[in-house]
Amino acid sequence: MSIVACVKWVSHPGEPHDERFAGMSMADQSALEFALQQGELLGQPVTVITVGPAGADKVLRDALACGATRAIRIEAPTTAAGTDVATAIADHIADAEWVWCGDYSLDRGAGSVPPFIAAHLGAEQALGVIAVTLLGATVHATRRLDGGRRELLEVTAPAVVSVEGATARLRRAGLQHLRSAAAATIEVMPATTPIHRAEFMVRPYRPRARELPAPTGESPLDRLRVLTDAAAASAARGETVHLAPADAAARIVHALRDWGYRDS
Amino acid sequence: MIAVVVVRDGQLPSGGDEVVAECSGRAVLIGSGTAAAAADLAGVATEITVLEVGGFQPADWATKLAPLLHHEPAVVLPGSPDGRDLAPRLAALLHRPLYAGAISVTPHRVELTRRSSTEIHQTHPGPEFVATMQPGVRGVAISADLTAPVVTDATPTHLPRQQVRDARVTEVLPPDPATLARAEAPRIIGGGAGLDGEHRMDQLAAVGAVIGASMGATRVITDRGWVPHQRQIGTTGVVVDPELYLAFGVSGAVQHTSGLGAPQHIISVNTDGHCPMMQLADLAIVADANETLDHLAALLGASLQATLHDTTEPSA
Amino acid sequence: MSTPDVDVIVVGAGPAGSCAAIVAARAGLDVVLLERGPFPGSKNMYGGVVYPRILDTLIPNWWEEAPIQRWVTRRSTMLLTDTQALTIDFRSEAWGEPPYNGATAFRPDWDHWLAGHAEAAGAQVLTDTTVVGLIRDPGGAVVGVRTDRPDGDLRAKVVIACDGVNSFLAKEAGLYEHTDAKHYTLGVKETLALPKEVIDERFAVRDRHGVDIEILGCTGNVNGGGFLYTGLDTLAVGVVLKLPKLAAQKKRPEEIVAGLKQHPAIAPLVQGAELKEYSAHLIPEAGLTMMPKMTMPGMLVAGDAAALCLAAGIWLEGVNFAMASGMYAGEAVVEALQANDTSATGLAGYQRRLSDTFVLKDHRKLHRAPELVLSDRVQHLYPGMVANVAERMFRVDNPHPKPGLRRILNEERKKAGVRRRDLLRDGWTGFRSFG
Ligand SMILES: Cc1cc2nc3c(=O)[nH]c(=O)nc-3n(C[C@H](O)[C@H](O)[C@H](O)COP(=O)(O)OP(=O)(O)OC[C@H]3O[C@@H](n4cnc5c(N)ncnc54)[C@H](O)[C@@H]3O)c2cc1C
Ligand SMILES: Cc1cc2nc3c(=O)[nH]c(=O)nc-3n(C[C@H](O)[C@H](O)[C@H](O)COP(=O)(O)OP(=O)(O)OC[C@H]3O[C@@H](n4cnc5c(N)ncnc54)[C@H](O)[C@@H]3O)c2cc1C
Ligand SMILES: Nc1ncnc2c1ncn2[C@@H]1O[C@H](COP(=O)(O)O)[C@@H](O)[C@H]1O
Repeated sequence: MSIVACVKWVSHPGEPHDERFAGMSMADQSALEFALQQGELLGQPVTVITVGPAGADKVLRDALACGATRAIRIEAPTTAAGTDVATAIADHIADAEWVWCGDYSLDRGAGSVPPFIAAHLGAEQALGVIAVTLLGATVHATRRLDGGRRELLEVTAPAVVSVEGATARLRRAGLQHLRSAAAATIEVMPATTPIHRAEFMVRPYRPRARELPAPTGESPLDRLRVLTDAAAASAARGETVHLAPADAAARIVHALRDWGYRDS
Repeated sequence: MIAVVVVRDGQLPSGGDEVVAECSGRAVLIGSGTAAAAADLAGVATEITVLEVGGFQPADWATKLAPLLHHEPAVVLPGSPDGRDLAPRLAALLHRPLYAGAISVTPHRVELTRRSSTEIHQTHPGPEFVATMQPGVRGVAISADLTAPVVTDATPTHLPRQQVRDARVTEVLPPDPATLARAEAPRIIGGGAGLDGEHRMDQLAAVGAVIGASMGATRVITDRGWVPHQRQIGTTGVVVDPELYLAFGVSGAVQHTSGLGAPQHIISVNTDGHCPMMQLADLAIVADANETLDHLAALLGASLQATLHDTTEPSA
Repeated sequence: MSTPDVDVIVVGAGPAGSCAAIVAARAGLDVVLLERGPFPGSKNMYGGVVYPRILDTLIPNWWEEAPIQRWVTRRSTMLLTDTQALTIDFRSEAWGEPPYNGATAFRPDWDHWLAGHAEAAGAQVLTDTTVVGLIRDPGGAVVGVRTDRPDGDLRAKVVIACDGVNSFLAKEAGLYEHTDAKHYTLGVKETLALPKEVIDERFAVRDRHGVDIEILGCTGNVNGGGFLYTGLDTLAVGVVLKLPKLAAQKKRPEEIVAGLKQHPAIAPLVQGAELKEYSAHLIPEAGLTMMPKMTMPGMLVAGDAAALCLAAGIWLEGVNFAMASGMYAGEAVVEALQANDTSATGLAGYQRRLSDTFVLKDHRKLHRAPELVLSDRVQHLYPGMVANVAERMFRVDNPHPKPGLRRILNEERKKAGVRRRDLLRDGWTGFRSFG
């Protein structure tokens, strides 16, 4: 089990969880594609693994249809904590040389499972990768840094690489493969260590009040003005209007003119 | 609580000062040029430990940091690329839970954003944990008293290299020039998942060309490959600071808006009147972004042909 | 001849396709159901009301599991002019109990549920797979389909085309003799969100009871009709528009929906509701006039693909016709494969079933209804005339005594410029269709 792709069964964020729309994220699709390409390059089979409930078989079958040879699902709720997911995966792929992941999952979105797996396996890591070159024994990866800078990494096995969504486009499964994948066996295993639910109190998002530099100004009144200046207030500052598309467009042009961005 | 901040060539990462402030001025700086970075934290930091250990090696650094942090119950890193890489390695070594992507951290309460920042998940952690904090959510109040922090050098002198492996850095590249001098672009028109097809990005660019705005996008869009990743605005993309931002079908997740600076004017078109981008906007229009874009293009006479070749730079 | 991969390929997992697959798979046949969307029903739309009694045999006690929004216990027909509204309103508590009559449901829920039954019966449902061509043998018989996937050919003994209105398969097979824009209407619909309690109150219903309103005279110069249905916490409001008129009037369909929502009789019902979704779809409107040949060697056509949708004024039923025709196609295929004869003769059981049941009987009966309902007189003259009659009947105009109905009728008919002969003829057509 030398090449592994970790794929997660997720639905798009922002929408209520709907299993019918759930599948692999773009990032996980990219990860799978690299795993498959590397498998072809090295002449090795590719294992796909997921941690999740029975519905998650869907992403494994999709991966099998694309050419993965073995599929493992570790039984767990979708709410499993990231550390537990990583432990569960690492325990099942202890001999993996290359582990491909998406760089963060759409729902939890922490990007922490791949480095946790790397820590467990004592492997190298290249995370948040935006370009990959597969070169036999090594992989060259471009990683994002702050402020638009990038870092070029040379990675050797054992390694965990997590890639962004558009780094590769997952191949389209052939019809016959799709049919046989639907009937293929999926190895379902219990987690070797207990899986905890991530327990949280959930409430709608409201931005945090930002710390602002102490107001400057001669008089208390001036300082108060700085504090209450509309431009400095961050949240809920404008008007909300419901408009038909044509009116919306007109309103935008109008606003641009009012604010001095356009003269006609 | 103590902040752990990765320094590269004396430069603090985005959100570095914020985590130091969140930890009331206590920090460990690790990397290269840590002394210079410590000086930059005057007015924010009070007590700094530096480890001058060269280029970024998350697995190795975790082993170097762990002994210093065993007695620190709460460790906070910025959610910058390096912070996000290092935090899990630290958490694994310290056997602690990791709370990634927080918008606020106290010893007894951590708040995380989830689901494209439509939700806040709040938790009361156990006594020991590691967290990363989203850059840009907090802001920093620089104290008027600019006393330099107390700096202790804890650089290990002759540590045998641990049995851990890190990838080798072969090169660090400056920002891609194709990205734009977009950090300076005064007007930006951004697209998000509310747009219904790749062709909308051309349309955005065309409308942008007419009003002198360059085109940017959310992570969802770059993940789909509709535009190159250089155009992604946000914590993992480029950080911009335009005067005017027009958002079409953008929900306004913190990872996006914290790369947005403080525009004087924001227009947002979204079918959901309550999402964060709409709350931030000066003009929040509840409407279908795609059809609005059709009308806007027609109204402004934005032609696709004229702009297909030059979508990077504003024309006016 | 190459050997078939499977017994039956069903193209399109709409109501027609899933029912065909259920029947064929239950009979032990090897069935593949191909759907281009990411899941069955994902992109399918319609007005909002299903009449599922046809499922009684296929899925006994379907009402206990079907993903419905509300049971329709109130049906109204509204005639509108710019300032008037005449409503005929019917309500039956019996429709709110088993075995029920009609229900509002979302297609992504409904179609997904039905396809689940096909899968449970043993059919293989392959999504994200679009059929792009037919495979035919030298004699012209259909022996499989070509999909957009790599290695995308799939061969079968029989193909059932359930690919919806404007069926690509039926057309490629040359089964349509004449299709014309005038045989189609465009349906557009807005889904609006409103809290359940508000809907209950505004529409005077409770629990899971709901309302189905058909509207005439709300589409301005474009011939057509409108509808308003209640979901659990949504409303579906939309219009059905005649295509050539729409093109000629250069009006955008959403303007017409907006106009309907602003009508004084409708506005209070939809006020404050938030737009969730806008969608549009063609409807085969012409019934018998446009129906294709239903079978050819190796292939059958069902549902909208065979123009079996019944769109006749106060009736807009397609899902039940699709489910029924799919079922009958499935039965005919089982028969044909047992007899090992998939020629046109072998598949003839399909046409027979359609003719013997409501599917074609209703179409025959209502043959002239669409034309009548969409005629200029019904569209532009009668609503005003009838509303004026009602207004005068109900107006108390003292000291004048109440006028007789016959006089009012006659005066209003003349005022509206309707000839007595036309009125009688339309009345007769209407009586023959609907009576
Ligand atoms: C570690 C990490 C780093 C990240 N870095 C970045 C980053 O740098 N930049 C970034 O952008 N994101 C980043 N993200 C992702 C971020 O969390 C959000 O997922 C992303 O910004 C959401 O993009 P969106 O607004 O396009 O999509 P969504 O959140 O899905 O929002 C789509 C919006 O469109 C609206 N909409 C839908 N249909 C229509 C319509 N027809 N008309 C109008 N509006 C419509 C919806 O109401 C919704 O508000 C990061 C996430 C993580 C975890
Ligand atoms: C605005 C409007 C309102 C309506 N209101 C009502 C109503 O209230 N009640 C009612 O009963 N009926 C109504 N109808 C009619 C009803 O929607 C149709 O009659 C019914 O959906 C027909 O079902 P079907 O299975 O034949 O086709 P469809 O439901 O159209 O299903 C066809 C399926 O085939 C798939 N498909 C198409 N081409 C291919 C291909 N090449 N390869 C693979 N898959 C393919 C499609 O994705 C789809 O899933 C309405 C229609 C409209 C447009
Ligand atoms: N439950 C899971 N099953 C399989 N892989 C996962 C799971 N959760 C996360 N991953 C992998 O880890 C990546 C990052 O996820 P996260 O750390 O949750 O943001 C994903 O893109 C997957 O490749």
